[in-house]
Amino acid sequence: MKIRTRLTWWYAGILIVSLLVMGVGTFQEISEQLRHDHRNRPEGHALDEAGEMIFQVGLPAVILGLLSGWWLTRRALAPVSKLTDAVEKIHEKNLGEKIPRTNNGDELDRLTEVFNTMTARLDNSFQRIREFTLHASHELKTPLTILCGEIETALRDESLSQSERERLLSQLDEVRRLSKIVDGLTLLAKADAGQIALKLEPLRFDELVRDNFADAQILAEPQHIQVELTTCEEISVRGDRHRLRQLLLNLADNAVKYNQPDGRVTMSLRRTDNFAEFKIASTGAGIPPEILSRVFDRFFRGDPAHENTIEGCGLGLSIAQWIVSAHNGTVQIESVPSKLTTVTVCLPLDTAAKPT
Amino acid sequence: MRVLVVEDEKKTASFVRKALQAESFAVDVVANGADALAAAASTPFDAIVLDIMLPGRDGLSVLRQLRERKNTTPVLLLSARGEVNERVEGLNAGADDYLPKPFELAELVARVRALTRRGGENKPIVLRVADLSLDTVTHKAQRSGTEIELTAREYRLLEFLMRSAGRPCGRMMILEKVWDYDFDPGTNLVDVYVRRLREKIDADFEPKLLHTVRGSGYVLKETP
Repeated sequence: MKIRTRLTWWYAGILIVSLLVMGVGTFQEISEQLRHDHRNRPEGHALDEAGEMIFQVGLPAVILGLLSGWWLTRRALAPVSKLTDAVEKIHEKNLGEKIPRTNNGDELDRLTEVFNTMTARLDNSFQRIREFTLHASHELKTPLTILCGEIETALRDESLSQSERERLLSQLDEVRRLSKIVDGLTLLAKADAGQIALKLEPLRFDELVRDNFADAQILAEPQHIQVELTTCEEISVRGDRHRLRQLLLNLADNAVKYNQPDGRVTMSLRRTDNFAEFKIASTGAGIPPEILSRVFDRFFRGDPAHENTIEGCGLGLSIAQWIVSAHNGTVQIESVPSKLTTVTVCLPLDTAAKPT
Repeated sequence: MRVLVVEDEKKTASFVRKALQAESFAVDVVANGADALAAAASTPFDAIVLDIMLPGRDGLSVLRQLRERKNTTPVLLLSARGEVNERVEGLNAGADDYLPKPFELAELVARVRALTRRGGENKPIVLRVADLSLDTVTHKAQRSGTEIELTAREYRLLEFLMRSAGRPCGRMMILEKVWDYDFDPGTNLVDVYVRRLREKIDADFEPKLLHTVRGSGYVLKETP
């Protein structure tokens, strides 16, 4: 039960009790008076008169009291619901925003102030974590450059034996993998800190999809995976060309990597309401429903058995998700294990472009 | 060929110097912006490798100063921040190329080579390596008189490899020049394309022209 309703009920109860007390008082008063004045009048008359009086005066008073009580609690509690709405809107990204205060110094204003201080503290902590990740990824770059350079320099030595060479090359591979992870991490840390400005321009999304389709076919060839582009409607979006290509390639690469030999990848691009809807469906082991919601998480690897056989930095889908949300779009993933996994990306249409 | 390396991190500077020297470049190393400007003013270099993060005056401001002084030496910027905006900023400030850290040494060497050749060479219409020829106008490739069908992307890849014939090309560089990707897509796209190209231009012919340089990339040349 809402506080407002509860208060109204209590208030109504109090009013009725006081009305009863008033009624009893009035009845006694009136019957006393009548006994004094007209001893010949019957007792019942007093009751009638008292009832009438309560009815005529008391009832409107009660109704008025109830209404004003309801209004009063509503008014008193309005800031609470406002505060609730405002607090509801708070999430990780807008912690810096303050809930507007009334500045009238009442309890609720004080509560708002406390809330604001709390979110400010949280914001500060988040900020520090973001900065930490950003600094960490920067700091890793110099030693990685050195490591990579030293190994490459060592590899130039002609006198190396075959096994030494192999060992160095394997180290180099790992350093490169680490570099990719650091790159991905830097990108995401910057995106979190809002430090990446997209270069938005009107562009033909269908052209990017076709381009990506050609690359996907080539990527899929070694495993004899068939790639199809079923529909590709002419669609313009406002977007960052590089980022959208990165997104498409990333999704295509996943669709091929996590596929099965002789599998299939089906892409389509169509217009739905105000969105460009790009779908990419692939055969393969798929993703069990219990981990489906976590595949966009950073470094989340679904199947531990695949961890070492499939190369990747574990950040691909997180980056894809960031690119989509930076374009005000949505990305969804559905999967029927060992049948079909579908990723759907919706990007807002370029409203300035002429419909074709 | 003489190259100026501006890098304050000693180890990085040292292996960059060694790698460039191994490619028979003469290398001067300085560790800060002021020294870089002084060196560039007194010696004509064929290329400058310039780190953005320098103590005191940063690389970008050194670059602007150089260009203000009408110094047109090709500049390769190195950066640990590695961000699209920064790349654009660097190129706008007058850099000729940009390489984010952590970079691969082979990639750096290939880029410096490309810079020192830039503009100096005339660009032939028909590119030739051994008996392989590529017409840059009609986009037709031939080997030993046999015509080879190429897709648009394969053509761009072959053209790039032929223009850099004899010099190893790193994967990042290929992605950048052939695909216009300025990010590392984390795929083996380049390797798969090279494999296809190899089937077309090398499978039925001798000698093999397209070679893998282990640990760095690919090179198109007559002798392995």
